[in-house]
Order: sequence, then structure tokens, then C-alpha cells
Amino acid sequence: MIKALSESVQTRPVAPVLIALFIGFSLFSPYFLTTGNMEALLTANSVVLIASVGMTLVFLLGGIDLSISTVISVSAVVSGLVMAGTGSIWWGAMAAMSVGLSVGLVNGLLIGLLGLTPFITTMATQLIARGVAFVLSKGIAVQGTPYGMLDFGFLTFHGIPAVTLTALLVVAVCMLLLTLTDWGRHVMLIGSNRNAARYSGINVRWVEVSVYSVSGLLGGIAGFISIATLGNAIPGVGDTLLLIIIGAVVLGGTTMEGGEGSIGRTVLGVGLLAVLISGLNLLGIPFYDQLIIQGLLIFLGTWLAMKLSARRH
Amino acid sequence: MLQDKAHPLLSVRNLTKSFSGKLVVAGISFDLYPGQVIGLVGENGAGKSTSKNMLCGLLEPTDGQILVNGQTVESNEGHAHGISAVHQELSLFGSLTVAENMCIGALPGSRLRVDWQQMQCIAREQLNFLGMDIDPDAAVFSLGAGQQQIVEIGKALLHADKVLILDEPTTSLTALEREKLFRILDKLKERGMAIIFISHFLEEIYRVCDSYIVLRDGHQVAGGALAGVSRRKLEALMVGRALEESADHGDVSDTGTEALRVEHLDSADCRDISFAVRHGEVVGIAGLMGAGRTEMAEALFGLRPSTGSVHVQGALLTERSVAAMKALDVCYLPEDRRNNGLFLNRPVRENLSAAAISRFIRRRLLKLGFAGERLATQTFSRAMGISIPHIDVKVDALSGGNQQKVLLGRWLASEPKVLILDEPTKGVDIGAKFDIHNRIGEIARAGAAIVVISSDLPELLQVSHRILVMRKGRIVGEFRRDQFDSVKIISLAASTGEEGLAT
Repeated sequence: MIKALSESVQTRPVAPVLIALFIGFSLFSPYFLTTGNMEALLTANSVVLIASVGMTLVFLLGGIDLSISTVISVSAVVSGLVMAGTGSIWWGAMAAMSVGLSVGLVNGLLIGLLGLTPFITTMATQLIARGVAFVLSKGIAVQGTPYGMLDFGFLTFHGIPAVTLTALLVVAVCMLLLTLTDWGRHVMLIGSNRNAARYSGINVRWVEVSVYSVSGLLGGIAGFISIATLGNAIPGVGDTLLLIIIGAVVLGGTTMEGGEGSIGRTVLGVGLLAVLISGLNLLGIPFYDQLIIQGLLIFLGTWLAMKLSARRH
Repeated sequence: MLQDKAHPLLSVRNLTKSFSGKLVVAGISFDLYPGQVIGLVGENGAGKSTSKNMLCGLLEPTDGQILVNGQTVESNEGHAHGISAVHQELSLFGSLTVAENMCIGALPGSRLRVDWQQMQCIAREQLNFLGMDIDPDAAVFSLGAGQQQIVEIGKALLHADKVLILDEPTTSLTALEREKLFRILDKLKERGMAIIFISHFLEEIYRVCDSYIVLRDGHQVAGGALAGVSRRKLEALMVGRALEESADHGDVSDTGTEALRVEHLDSADCRDISFAVRHGEVVGIAGLMGAGRTEMAEALFGLRPSTGSVHVQGALLTERSVAAMKALDVCYLPEDRRNNGLFLNRPVRENLSAAAISRFIRRRLLKLGFAGERLATQTFSRAMGISIPHIDVKVDALSGGNQQKVLLGRWLASEPKVLILDEPTKGVDIGAKFDIHNRIGEIARAGAAIVVISSDLPELLQVSHRILVMRKGRIVGEFRRDQFDSVKIISLAASTGEEGLAT
């Protein structure tokens, strides 16, 4: 029992920190553990959670997807325009997912087939996606969001927002894909040693193309959800999220080198940052001070993960 | 600098090292006299490298004494006491020049200014002494493995004038370079240098050393003058059991059907390769480093572009890829197991199942999951003789021999009919080597066709029915088992001319 507990702490060093912060904020702020605050916290972080899962898959493969943030923006804008035009939420969802998938596919083809480096490739698509989002929306929030979409944003089941449940569904599906399918196993093996995967007869290119596509698709879903949580499709909605997404994944303990980490860890990482930001807000800590604390926490988290993984050898 | 031969340069008394309570080196003692060469032998994990690291000052001994010139050394600093080591993994900076690399530990000149000219002189002098024609201004990455090794030795000699420790110095050298290195060692020996020579290759121990120490599980089990000690006895001391001669493969019947036929295979580093292998036959491929053997194998599997035709079981291959070959039960064990073979930060379980996942799992509902994998890989690893604490330990943590068995196991699990094994025993200890040789014999007798690429000629002579010799990308000779002659094979592999295409 104790051994199992210490083992799970070693693989998920974030969990005890998350619990401690949660309890700490509950004690220090009377507002933290209120229904309203919890709902706001969950709603606000659903977009980040979905995108972080995409980033986790790419990290596990040994790559990086810098475009995921602006894919959120561009798919939100396109989806908003489609919904304003057709009045249909379903068409909007389809549009968001197709846009995300297309950008991801482009990333995947450039990286997997042409062999471009992930960092440069996704940085370029990040710029393009950001530009397209602003051009299409003329730089302002897209008007005419259907009321159904706004209702979706406010809908809750037993105090849990529907958007969060959607995000958790995405998390669950990706977890199953990663842990139960050959594809998921191949992602881990390629991330661990791309050459060895090639020499073992794994179709490395196809897996690379598919992972970046999935990452794009998740960016698209996140963009769609952002409309529900904010009420409008906003052209810069994802642009500032990139560092939070990467921070959450790294803090959770998935390394950028590939082949080591899990989606579960990322969920904890997102949770930690969410609780931290919410709690600091309630305690009245100014925004820029919060950035300093977040940065220090990421240092601490990486250092802790390194220490713990060294001890396991 | 001939020194008194009667007094030891270096004495070691009861040298002991333990890591977190686990005894790794358990009390070794010896004396090293000027001009003496001691061979330190033992299997992987016997404590050779730990001993070396204590002697050159990289590790603090837990117990015991090191005496230099009869004086007890309080804290061993290696260089300060004239002891220097050349480690197994080269520690050179590829993009720096030879001279820079040699002097990097103590750059000549003042604190603020490096005296480049002086550095040149030092390097040139050192290279002249070693009798090597290497340009001190050449960038190290442009040199061959053998020359890099010499640079490393030159660097070590700059710091040490008493004791030189060489850890597996020949693993990346060709036969010629090896001989050159041995001559340099002879020269150093004449100058009164004392040398500790660590090697897996017993024939090298006999060539270079005059005395020996055998380590097993950290204990010094034997030592003394080498003369009169048989090779068989040394091996038995190292392994702790007598190794019976591995089963002789004898002759293969010529009636086996053809499993693999390669015709006119052309690639960047191999030209016009044609050969065939029958079921039940082991074909060795000999040659020097860079003869194009690995390149030929990789071309066969579509890992590098090539032209020519490949037939498996008589059928012409249309697509050349690892996956296509796997579907035809043909597999390739890569030479570089760390870069091209193993998933180092993944568990042994996943490493074993990577090429034949369906053999290890049962999928029922929805075709999902990896049920049964843990148990099946556990059973399989036991059958392969892989010693691991548990099946989920990361491959990184295993010894070289066990890592090689994991890689071999991955491919044997796919139940191949044709195997191309590239350096199957590189860097593994004698016990594991013996096991791998026996397994090669077993699967050949069971009807598989096997190609073994190896730089270890005794290994090829032992396991093959037939040996092909490659040189500069071409097959230049073929020997049947009754014609095996190591001298002929080596000279054919090493000769420079294009003449003499013996068959």
C-alpha cells in the first residue's frame, strides 16, 4: 500500500503539490471552494486541457507543436463565421475540426514526409494560422454566435460544466488510443528512439503524420469550445495560451525528449496551473507577480521530475 | 626515463568500492613495475571499469590504499601522480583540432592568451613519438576511429608519465590499426611505462600483456605471470564455470533450399553484391571496418537507397523495407544497438515485443489493449537467458550482454526464417557471447538461413559454414568451411589491390 503510494508519487510528483495547493487555497480564501469559483475554474481551463493533450502526444513522439495555440484561434474564427452564416452549431463544430485537422495534416506532412524540423515547421504554421485568423475576422470578435452555443457554455451537470465534460471525453479517448492501441505504442517507441523504430519495421512516417494531425484536430476542438466559454469567436483567443500549454505538459512530467510521460500527468499539470492561477487571483496577487510564481513553479517541477526519475534507476 | 625495475611504480592494496552498500570491487591488490603490462580481464560487470576509475582518480575508493612510488596517496588525482586513462568511450571534441584536443586539459600560454604555436609543437612532438602521420591541425571528426584512438592515447600520455590505463582500446579499430597500437604499446613499455590493459579479447591480452588479473563479481580470483596460463583456463576463471567448446556446426547439407538470393545489389557504399544463402546455413561476412558490410545489409532492408534484385524463398521482392521483409520472415539485427536498436528509456517488455507484438498479446474485445504481454515477455526473456530484476526495468539499466540479448530476442520473437545479424556479439562478455553462438547454431539447425556480419574473425570461423569476404564495397572472396584459413581471410580483407578475386 505504502509502496504503491510512493511509486505513484514518483511517477506523478505533481499530485501531492496539487492537493496541497487545493487545501491551502481552500483554507486561505473563503471564495476558492465555492460552486461559482469551481465552475469558473473548470470552464476557463477546458480549452487549455484539450490543447495540452495534443501537445502531450507530440511531446511523447519527440516533437513539438508550436502552432496549436493559433490553430485554436483560426478554427474558432472559421467556426464562428460558419455558425453566423448557417446558424448551425454542428456545421460550426465540423468547420473547427476540419480547419484544425488540415493545419495538423500540413504540419505532419512537412515534418513526417519532407523531414523538416518540428520547431521551425510549426512556428511557420503558427504565424500563418494567426494571420489567417485576423484576416478572416478583420481583427474583431466574430458576431452572431447562435444562442444554443451560449447555452452550451453555461450548461452544467451536477456542477460540472458541459465544456469540461467534453474536454474530459477528449482526454479519455486519447488516453485509450495511447495506452491500448498499436498506434499509441508506436508513438512511445518512436519518441524513445526514432531510428530503432525504423529498424523495427514501424511505419514512422505515418505515425508522425497522424500525431501532428491529431494535435491539430484537438486544437480545432479547443477552438470550438472557446466560443462556448467566451460567447464569441475571438481572433487572438489561443495566441497567449502556448506557454501555459507547454508549461502544463512539462510540469506534469512529460519530457520534451520523447518516449516518457503520459496524458494523465498532463491532466495533473493543467490542474496544478489552473488551481494556482485561480487561487492567486482570489488572494489578490497581481497578474505579473503570478507569472513569476508560475515560472518558478515550472523550474521546481522539472527539477523534481528529474530528481525522481534519477532515483528510480 | 628508465626507472628502477625493482620497485613498483604503482601498488594497490585491498582496493574496495561499494555503491550504496553494494560491493562492486572487493579488495584487489597488485604491484605494477616499470615496463610491465598487466591485463585486467573479466566479464561485463566484474568491476574492471570501477577499478580503472579508482586508479585514475575519477572515483574515491571506499577502502584500501593506492601507493605511487612506494608513497601512500591520500586523495588520488590521477594526472598529478602520473596516472592517466584512455576510456572506452572516446572523449574527444569532434569539431576541435587534434592539437587542441590533446592540450585541452592544460593549454599552454598565459591565463588570458593561449600559445597556439606551443600547442602545435607539443602535439607534433607527441604524434612523432607515437609514429603517427596525423596533421595536428586536422579536425578530429575528419579522422578515422583508429587515428582518433591514437590522439586519445597521445592526450593521455601528455598527462601521465608513469602509468597508462587502456580500457577496451581496440573495439573500434581495424586489424591494421590494432597492430599499430600494439607496436606503440611495445614502445612505451621499453621506455619504462607501466600499462594496465583492459580487454574482452583474450588474444589481445596474450599479444600485449606479461601478467594478468582476473576479476569476477568484484573479486580478484586470480593473477600472476601470463606465460603458461592457457586461454581456456583464463576463460574459465572469468566465467566461473568451464565453457565447453560450443557445438561445432559441421557441414550443412547442400540440399537445403535457397532462402535468400541477392543479385547485383548496388548502393552508395557497396557495389555489385551477389550471393545466396540456403536454409540451415550460416554464412559469415568478414571484412574491415568500412568494407560496406553494414551498408549492404541496410540496403537489403530498404534502409538506404539501392538497386539490384533480392529474392526471398525464390520470390522477387518488389518493395524493399523492414516491414516488407518482416512480412516475409526476414529480419535484420542492427550493429549499433544504442542508436538503431534499443528503446533505451522504455521497459524491456516493450523492447522485446516491438517487432512482433501479436505474438505476446491476446486481443479479444474491440481489438484493443496489451493483455498478457507482461507474462509472455517474462517467459520469453527467461528463455532467452536475459537476467533482469523485473520485466518493466528500462533497457538502459542493463549490461551490454543483456541488452544484446534483448535486441536478439526482439527479432527471434518474430520467428524469422532468414536472419541477418550485424555484429551480434559486439561488446558482450564471454558468457553471453557463448550463449548467442549456441543460439545461432540452434536456429540454423532448425532450418533458418543466417548471415552473420562480424569483425571478430574467430567468431566467424566458429559459427559459419561459409565465409564471404568484403572489401571496399565488393565481395572479393568466398571460403567453404574446409578451406577456412584466418591468415588468408585477413589478408584478402585488408589487401589494397583490386586483383585476386578468389572464389
